[in-house]
Amino acid sequence: MKHHIVSLLVSVAFGFAAVLGFGACHEIEGYENDLKGNFEQLWKIMDEHYCFFEQKGVDWDEMRVKYGSQINARTGTKGLFRIMAAMLDELKDGHVNLSAPFETSYYRNWWSDYPQNYNERLVQEKYLHFNYMSLGAVYYYTLPQNVGYIRIPSFESGLGDGNIDNILATFASASALIVDIRDNGGGNMNVADNYISHFIGETVTAGFISHKTGSGHSDFSAPRRMTVEPVAKPHLIWGKPVVVLTNRSTFSAANYFAAVMKSLPHVTVVGATTGGGAGVPFSSELSCGWGVRFSACPVLDPAGNLTEFGVEPSEGCAVDMNALDEFSGKDTILDFAVAMLTNQ
Amino acid sequence: MQKKIFLLIGLLWNALSALSGQADSVHVLRPVTVAYTLEAGSSHIADTYLSPIKYSGWGAGLHYERWQAMKFSPERWVMQLRFGVRAESTLNFAGNARMWFGGIDFSWAMMRRWKVANGLTLGAGGKAGLALGALYLERNGNNPVAAKAAVTLDATCYAAYNMNVGRLPVTLTWQPSMPLTGVFFSPDYGELYYEIYLGNHSGLVRYAWPGSYFRLDNSVMADLHFGATSLRLGYRGCIESTSANNIVSNHFTHSFVFGISGEWLSLNPRKKTSGNPRIINALF
Repeated sequence: MKHHIVSLLVSVAFGFAAVLGFGACHEIEGYENDLKGNFEQLWKIMDEHYCFFEQKGVDWDEMRVKYGSQINARTGTKGLFRIMAAMLDELKDGHVNLSAPFETSYYRNWWSDYPQNYNERLVQEKYLHFNYMSLGAVYYYTLPQNVGYIRIPSFESGLGDGNIDNILATFASASALIVDIRDNGGGNMNVADNYISHFIGETVTAGFISHKTGSGHSDFSAPRRMTVEPVAKPHLIWGKPVVVLTNRSTFSAANYFAAVMKSLPHVTVVGATTGGGAGVPFSSELSCGWGVRFSACPVLDPAGNLTEFGVEPSEGCAVDMNALDEFSGKDTILDFAVAMLTNQ
Repeated sequence: MQKKIFLLIGLLWNALSALSGQADSVHVLRPVTVAYTLEAGSSHIADTYLSPIKYSGWGAGLHYERWQAMKFSPERWVMQLRFGVRAESTLNFAGNARMWFGGIDFSWAMMRRWKVANGLTLGAGGKAGLALGALYLERNGNNPVAAKAAVTLDATCYAAYNMNVGRLPVTLTWQPSMPLTGVFFSPDYGELYYEIYLGNHSGLVRYAWPGSYFRLDNSVMADLHFGATSLRLGYRGCIESTSANNIVSNHFTHSFVFGISGEWLSLNPRKKTSGNPRIINALF
């Protein structure tokens, strides 16, 4: 009989647990799907997950008051979007976007306030004579000074090691190589790593990555070292001098590529300071269905420095495109690189 | 169905006895109760690693379940083995983003049982469970997936009641279970899976107890014994709520279950058995 009572008690206990199960669940803060609710939700998502408040010197509590107070009964959906977008723009971060069905917000000043320093048509016409070879989005050409030129416009999708071998083999007799990543807006760090692996003879430190461990603005994990290994034999590794061309629109994974390449002894970075974008972005969303993207995981360069504000060119190699040169069909930055590599 | 099984066993036993000519002795036979079921119903998911928004949709699964009285004390102890796969598709409130879930679960339980009254059996015991799965939110870029893994020791119990609906024998079974301890996987609050791939495994394995890993499985089944094979109809619900590394994940499912069940008995003709076998069912 005792056993029966125990069994019955256990069953009754589970029955209660079944009834009260929802009460035992962990709460997730909910917001009203209205103007104010969605604004507060966006503010909270950023407050708890954005990773560069301190570096950007933004008082996020102040932004809540500043922009939250602009919402009133006359604020429509698009009005709300603009208020939210303006609040996000305070972060001055190219990795921060708000996406609604009618618009995606985007802070442009990180590149629009700077000279472009790149004219693709000019390079293709005056230097490559439209006679370059292409592999996917990548194209390459041997310049008359016996310097190889590779244009990598994006790291969204990469080339196979065999493809990269073929490009490098084309330049077997070249004395040096120029890798042009101007206007490269980034993509996948693994794709960048794959290219880097063809320029190193041993495993190198590519940088450090950390992440938020909690909702506080200073809650970060210890930076973890990232490494890149050289491409496996028999793939080709380029050991001759390399110049990487950068401009302000060199961003995100391209910014990372520039930082890693700059740390290599045979590589020089020429051009303008890159656009940064050193926080790997996360995605989230609001009750109304709008998406939000934001920098979440800071990436440091191989020396442990934050490159959110860009990678500077190597010493003495900061060059802007001269407007007169551009008008007369010359790329000042490319000319500088060729001259440096050929000791002219 | 039991009468048919008895008849079959009796015939086999007589044949074996005639061949062997040996004296009768008491022998226990432990038929296996097996069920193959499909389930379909609603799913509700929220996982703050992926999104602060709740998603709702449908889910479907396939389960295999097996009960048997245990050899060492068949009257008192039973074991249950379960294996299941499940897929779910959910949408956010705005209907513009889809989240998927796919998972498998495996468990093995051992329960002490008591025959409380005529037709009613109660059981209670422990269960070892393994659950693996992943949530996938299509709209997310670098954080599209939340992997799920847990190894737990659960408390479980059941009540089985034999009754007749008209002339149709029916077995009703209710079984709740709840993890009491174990371990489960959780990335850190804002950690990329890329960082885990790089080798940062710190804090990924969390201690599970009802305060951090609450899960309540409930199933209510009715086996309608039309013949040797039974029709199984019922409900299965799961409430799962975890909190670790400042990430909260809630996952609720409610499903209608239908399938087949039956009792299987395997006899070895080369093995000597007594002439008076006792059949001890798993459920009652």
